[in-house]
Formats: sequence, C-alpha cells, structure tokens
Amino acid sequence: MLEFVNTYGFLLVTLVQSALLGLSLYFPLAAGQLSLASPGFFALGGYIMAILGTNPALEGLRSSLGWWIYPLSWLISALLSGILALIIGLPSLKLRGIYLALATIAFVEIFRVVVLNLDITGGAIGLTGIPPFFSTQFQYLWGFGPLLILTLIFAYKLERSRTGRAMRAIREDELAADAMGISPMRFKVLAFVMGGVLAGIVGAMSAPFLNAWDPSKSTFDASINYLAFVLIGGSRSIWGPVLGGILLTALPEVLRPLKDSRLILNGLVLVVSSIYLPQGIVGLFQRRKPKKVLRGARVEVVK
Amino acid sequence: MSGTPSAVSGHPLTKAALLEARGLTRRFGGLIAVNNVSFSVQEGEIFGLIGPNGAGKTTLFNLMTGLTPVSSGTLVLNGETLTGLPPFKIATRGLGRTFQNIRLFKELSALENVKIGQHTQTSSGLWSGIFSSSGARREEKRVEAKAWELLELTGLADRAGESAGNFSYGDQRRLEIARALALEPKILLLDEPAAGMNTGEKGALTEFIRGVRNQFDLTVLIIEHHVPLVMNLCDRIAVLNFGELIALGEPHQVQKDPKVIEAYLGA
Repeated sequence: MLEFVNTYGFLLVTLVQSALLGLSLYFPLAAGQLSLASPGFFALGGYIMAILGTNPALEGLRSSLGWWIYPLSWLISALLSGILALIIGLPSLKLRGIYLALATIAFVEIFRVVVLNLDITGGAIGLTGIPPFFSTQFQYLWGFGPLLILTLIFAYKLERSRTGRAMRAIREDELAADAMGISPMRFKVLAFVMGGVLAGIVGAMSAPFLNAWDPSKSTFDASINYLAFVLIGGSRSIWGPVLGGILLTALPEVLRPLKDSRLILNGLVLVVSSIYLPQGIVGLFQRRKPKKVLRGARVEVVK
Repeated sequence: MSGTPSAVSGHPLTKAALLEARGLTRRFGGLIAVNNVSFSVQEGEIFGLIGPNGAGKTTLFNLMTGLTPVSSGTLVLNGETLTGLPPFKIATRGLGRTFQNIRLFKELSALENVKIGQHTQTSSGLWSGIFSSSGARREEKRVEAKAWELLELTGLADRAGESAGNFSYGDQRRLEIARALALEPKILLLDEPAAGMNTGEKGALTEFIRGVRNQFDLTVLIIEHHVPLVMNLCDRIAVLNFGELIALGEPHQVQKDPKVIEAYLGA
C-alpha cells in the first residue's frame, strides 16, 4: 500500500486536480459560455501562493502566520480571481461562442507574457522552493479531495436552484431567456466568475504541491487540455468534467508501456470520442431520459 | 358607423390606456420596417395586429419587448417609458411574449420551461439556493406548484417531464403561452399562436385565450394571420401594411375599410 501511494501519489492527486480544472470550465459552459480562461486564473492562484510562500519581503508574515499562510493564499486567490474574472467577463461576455473563446485565450496569453516579464513572479524561471503544505505528495489529496467534494456539492445545488435555472435558460436560448426577464449579462458573468474563482483556488493549492511555479502554467495548450476534459467527459452533467479530467490525465500513464506510440493512441481516443460521443462519456450512461414522471408536487396543487 | 381610418391617431379613448405606442419607428438601412406607428391598448382588451407578410408586425413586437431597439418613438406602460430598457427589464415590467418561430428551451422539460418563466416572480439569490435557505425552499415549492398549475391549464401536465423539443407544433405553442403566463404579465403578446394548428385546435385556442384573459385579468396583444380567428377573438384590430398603421378599430369596421381590403387583395 505504502509503495503504491509513493509511486502513484502524484498521479492520484493530479487526477483530482484535473477534475477540478475541468469543473472550472463547466460553470461558464452551464450558462452556454465557452471560456478557455481557466489556465489564467489557475496561474494567478499559483503565483499568489508562490509569492506568499517565497517572497523575502513577506518573511515576517510567514513566520507569524505559520500554517495559516495556505488558507490565506486560497482566500486571496479566490478573491483576486473573482475580481479579475469580473473585470474580464464584463466586456468579453458580450462576445458569443467562438469569439468569447478567442478573447479568453487572449487573456491567458497576456497573463503569461505579463508574468514572464515581472520581477515579482520570477520571470521565465518562475518561483521555486514554495514551502510544501504536506510532507508527501499523496497527502495533498486531503486538500484537493475536499475541494472537489465541496465543488460538486456546489454544482449539484446550483443545478437545482433559481440561479442554475437562469444559467441553463441562457445556455439554451439567450434571447428567449432575456425575454423571460433573465438578465443574460448578470448570469453569464456570475458563471464566468465561478469558474475563475475555482481555477484560482486550485492554482493556490497546486503551487505547494508542485513546489515551483512558472509562466508555462498559463498557456493555450493548457486551455485546450482542460477543454478536452469537459468535451470528452460531457458538459451537460457535473460528472462529465470529473470523469473527463480523470480519464484524460490517467490515459497517458496507462498507455506508458506503448512508449512513443501512446501519443498517437491518446490522440485517437480524443478524435473518436468527440465524433461518436457528442454528449461526452457521461452521455453513454444517460441515454435520452425516457419519460420522467414528476408527479410529486402535483398532489399539493390539486389539494 | 363605418370608422374612418384617418381618426386613427387621434382616436378618442374613454378608458385610460394601459399601453401606449407613440410613433414607434424602426429603420433597417434604407428600409423602414415600422413607420411612425401609434396606438394605445386598454386594460383587459384583446388587441389584434394583422397585416400581409412583411408588414412589420413581428418587428413591432420586437420593438415593444426591447429585442430590437427602436429608431425613434416611445412605448409607455402605465405612465412608465419602456423604450430603451433591455428586454429582461421590459419583461419584469409586465410584458410576456411568445415567438413566431417558437423559442422554447427545447432540451429542457416542459416543467422546467415553465419554471424558468417564473424567474421575475422569484428572488432567491445564489447562496440561498446553494444553502437551501428556508426562503429558497419555500420559493422552490411555490415555483413547482405554479408550474404544474400552468401545465394543467394548458393541458400539458401529463407530459411535464418530456423535453419541450419533442412536443408537437401546437403543443409547443401552448407551452410557450404557459411559459409567458408564468411571468404573471400585465400584457401578453402572442406572435401567431395559431400557426401550424388545425381548425379544431384554432377554435380551442380562441376559447383558451379568452379564458386566460378573464382568469388572469390580462391584456392581450395578438399577431395572427388567420382572419376568422382574429375577427372572432379581438376587441379591436390594428392593420399594418409596409410598416404603417393603415387602420384601427373594431373588427367589423376594419373588415370594411377600403385600405385594408386593398392591402390584402393587392392594388
């Protein structure tokens, strides 16, 4: 058991991390918005933790806070990601479909170039020696695991709430939602902020896990990767991004014995599943809900 | 007795108007889709809007509900100017509508469509929904109950769980009306509600619209091509042709109007 944990601890935590990043794309998608901004917020969160953990000027803060520096980094990341998402979301969510995707890719690229050129973020080398939160990598599961559970509960409750319904209405038909009294901008921005805040917190948790943080966290490649989690898993259910994130992160490892040809097989899986599983893997289990009879509340109405 | 169309703009009103359009105009480039259209609708009235294809009826609806910005003119509801407000705010003020080319949330169930329609009637925010506050739970129950009520009313209750997109054309139109009623509008705007319905369904629809008007104290604006339905249902009718209001009056007056006859039969 111990050997397994030592060997696969890193991978196991990465699986959960991927599920979370997939979910950070799920929230905007739940309101019909294809946003690829997650790596930007993820990188922001990581840099916040890295700066809090390594910047010499903050030595005093670190020694007085001790262990509390980590929760503080999550809080600051959530807050700043949320504010940044609001600032970016307000103008860019006027764009639709692929144009929004392009605008968010631009954000990710701009963020990368900015941190590449700042001193506080360590330029191209990035920041290293971020103090670890746990002693082994496997233990980070006690950070990412609860975050995943909380996020899933949040998403589950959201789906069943007035806010979730409004987001769904916008996803289905923005104009009709508008005519039904739902402010498209308000709920689109809200969904975008949810995704940004989540990615930011995941970033702040990931920095001590990886020990180092550099500009490569915010790239177009990462955007596409996270998008693949959602597309392959399925974007219509909260389980889609979780399943997609876990499978696509595990796949290259599982295929490792195939050496270089694993990349071909990996690509093949992506292509085949996007052609034959338009609803994602989760769609396989849902098979066009037959008739759902929802008479529970009807009795009350009839009295 | 025969009404003169020239009296259209200065039509003397006995009751106070609920909704008043003043010189509504919309230009698309060089085309004037709606040209200086003025009329007022009284409370409780069923007001018909007819005219040949391309006369600007749907554009006029879009101007009224804010989906298309006006080039000039104003729309006033109960003394409050609606023009310039975004669609969702106009909906909140009490204008509920259906669409000529049905715009249901097709992938969602009928029940959910009607629940979404109640957005303006509810207020629970993100966190009260996430934490299931007692207020949010009470509201959810109310939303659920009312959604069922409206589905019963439109005769769609036994198919509440089905995706709206699977419904027949006529049922989709009825569901759209149920969704618009969920807004508890003051004014219900119906854009060709009888399109695609057979004669029997059209008759039932006439009764249905009259019934809802009485039950919910509604004012109804209706665009319809089917002339017998309009003549039978509407208290007053406005006729549009090439974006201009050419006649306004009670059905029998409008029917005899030479301008209307010309517009329909061609010059």
